[in-house]
Amino acid sequence: MVSIARKNLFEDLPRFMVAQAGIMFAVGLVTIQTGLLDGFTKSASLLVDNSKADIWVASKDMRYLELTIPLPYERLAQAQRVEGVDRAEALITRGSLWRKNSSAQIDPIRLIGFDPDGQLFTPWRINQGNLSDLKQPYTVMIDRSNLKALDISGIGDTAEISSVKVTVKGITQGIHSIVSSPFVFSSLPNANYYFVSQAMPTGTTQPTTPPALTAKDQITYILVRAEPGQNLTDLKSRLEAALPDTRAFTLEEMAQLNQTYWRRSTGVGFILGMGAAVGVVVGMVVVGQILYSSVSDHLQEFGTLKAMGSSNWYIYRVIIEQALWMAVLGYLPGMGLCLGLSAWTMQTRAIAILITPSTAIAVFGMTIVMCTGAAAFAIRKVTHLDPAMVFKS
Amino acid sequence: MVNPLVTQPQPLTTIEPTPEKVIVAEGLEMIFHSGNQEFKALKGIDLQVFSGDIELLMGPSGSGKTTLLSILGGILTPTAGEVHLLGQEITRLSQNKLARFRLENIGFIFQGFNLFPALTASENIQTALNLKGIRGQAARQHALKLLDQVELADRADNLPRDLSGGQKQRVAIARALAGQPKLILADEPTAALDSHRGRAIIELLRKLSKEEGCTVVMVTHDARIIDIADQVVHVEDGMITDNPSNFSRFAA
Ligand SMILES: Nc1ncnc2c1ncn2[C@@H]1O[C@H](COP(=O)(O)OP(=O)(O)OP(=O)(O)O)[C@@H](O)[C@H]1O
Ligand SMILES: [Mg+2]
Repeated sequence: MVSIARKNLFEDLPRFMVAQAGIMFAVGLVTIQTGLLDGFTKSASLLVDNSKADIWVASKDMRYLELTIPLPYERLAQAQRVEGVDRAEALITRGSLWRKNSSAQIDPIRLIGFDPDGQLFTPWRINQGNLSDLKQPYTVMIDRSNLKALDISGIGDTAEISSVKVTVKGITQGIHSIVSSPFVFSSLPNANYYFVSQAMPTGTTQPTTPPALTAKDQITYILVRAEPGQNLTDLKSRLEAALPDTRAFTLEEMAQLNQTYWRRSTGVGFILGMGAAVGVVVGMVVVGQILYSSVSDHLQEFGTLKAMGSSNWYIYRVIIEQALWMAVLGYLPGMGLCLGLSAWTMQTRAIAILITPSTAIAVFGMTIVMCTGAAAFAIRKVTHLDPAMVFKS
Repeated sequence: MVNPLVTQPQPLTTIEPTPEKVIVAEGLEMIFHSGNQEFKALKGIDLQVFSGDIELLMGPSGSGKTTLLSILGGILTPTAGEVHLLGQEITRLSQNKLARFRLENIGFIFQGFNLFPALTASENIQTALNLKGIRGQAARQHALKLLDQVELADRADNLPRDLSGGQKQRVAIARALAGQPKLILADEPTAALDSHRGRAIIELLRKLSKEEGCTVVMVTHDARIIDIADQVVHVEDGMITDNPSNFSRFAA
């Protein structure tokens, strides 16, 4: 079949390019906004998603990962004794202050204390250094993306966490969250000492090795791995019964809880949704405008087709085919650009624009709907076209 | 598929048959409204056109020729009157049925050629064939044959802008013939051509339509092609007249 649609479209190349720019803009905006939302959501539950626990046990007052009341360390031993628990480990997360030296500026950090020999939570991408190095006293691991923010040039550099001098022993890759201060990983005794030292009278000598945790020391979460075949709902109830003032969550529940909290509290979905909507509206206006003016320029031809006896449907198909060509040829470079941008920001900015295959497919569908929707104006114009105009020259 | 270029064999008969009427129009009136103004462009026209004839519509500018032609082609609906085309009353057909009827029975030729500028000569003809449900390679072959008939086989892949006016109109004739129409309606097909080329085009149109057994109704200002017509109708002020007042102006 001879495609009048395609030939008419490519005949006026500058106009076609303008339309493509409009579509690329719409595709770009929608993809980036969706990508940011997905990146944000992933960020909100990053630590939870990357733990290997079946169940997270928290204070019953916990609202989200960073807003909770500590648990006494003795709960860990109690949890280990609950029937159906294969393994339980303690996790400390606590906001703290970082400074390069005692005269440098302070920066907020999120201190994560964990067991370097443990299995349920460890930093999952270590770029430099070893987990076992964190067993040395007063050591930490930070993420590559935060080196500049924390004023650290590499392994061996030192800084202070609430006046305790620490040494950077390792560097992680891609472990950062837009909803959190920079993560600083350390062993449980180290993390505990950075905290308790704050309450010690000035002049207290620092022990060569921070003491192991005792029953009354404060931890934040207990990560639990169930024995194979355990019903997690039942296990959660048993844990809650055995550990006073706690609530237990499955991994999914805990992740969901954090995502919901951050989406709600920031209204990020609405803001990014608005941005995406602007993209769609602009794309629609541009495509609609271009199709309309293209159809107006070719009115004589549509009139001729009508005189020749083509059905209205044939003419609609010509216009819709133009819209589809525009959609496909605008989407491909638009999405290409977004993927490039996403890769670039991940590398250089630590901003996560997460473009999933389902986003790519959904945006393609949206582009098709947007372009064919925009064709409605042009279709209206030819519907009202009087074929008698073909004899007027 | 029937080859449209081969004339269907006519039954041999010794008695002269009464010629079939392709067009019977009765009491055609056309009133145009613009704002609260009314303008009566046709004031009661009766017309009969016989099968295989070449019929010329002549008359001064603004007399209503194009209006009449549009009504005969089912492109315009008259304010009053009836048009029987090939035995079918068309003025009360729905727009969709009319489009279908035009597709099956009528070919149009325009003063300004009305070729699709982005399509080659062959593709222009193929589009007409596509509308008729002939696609792909079959349409291409068919188009080439038609171009050969209008002596433009070597220009099949040229865009209209690379063709002369006469060549464009020949492509348009081939396109109009592509649907094997029983009726061709042409509005001043030679007006954009010089008189020599104009005459050549009309002669070609006459030859092909006679071969195909196709009836032609043509609006023209050109009195020099009168000899080609089987019948001439003069329109003046929205009416058919037997003694045209200004005919002498065109007489050779
Ligand atoms: N759509 C319309 N609305 C209003 N008036 C119209 C319309 N179409 C035609 N007319 C008027 O009807 C009259 C006949 O027009 P028509 O185009 O049929 O003339 P014509 O004989 O073809 O003239 P020409 O030789 O200049 O082409 C003219 O006065 C014209 O102004
Ligand atoms: Mg006219």
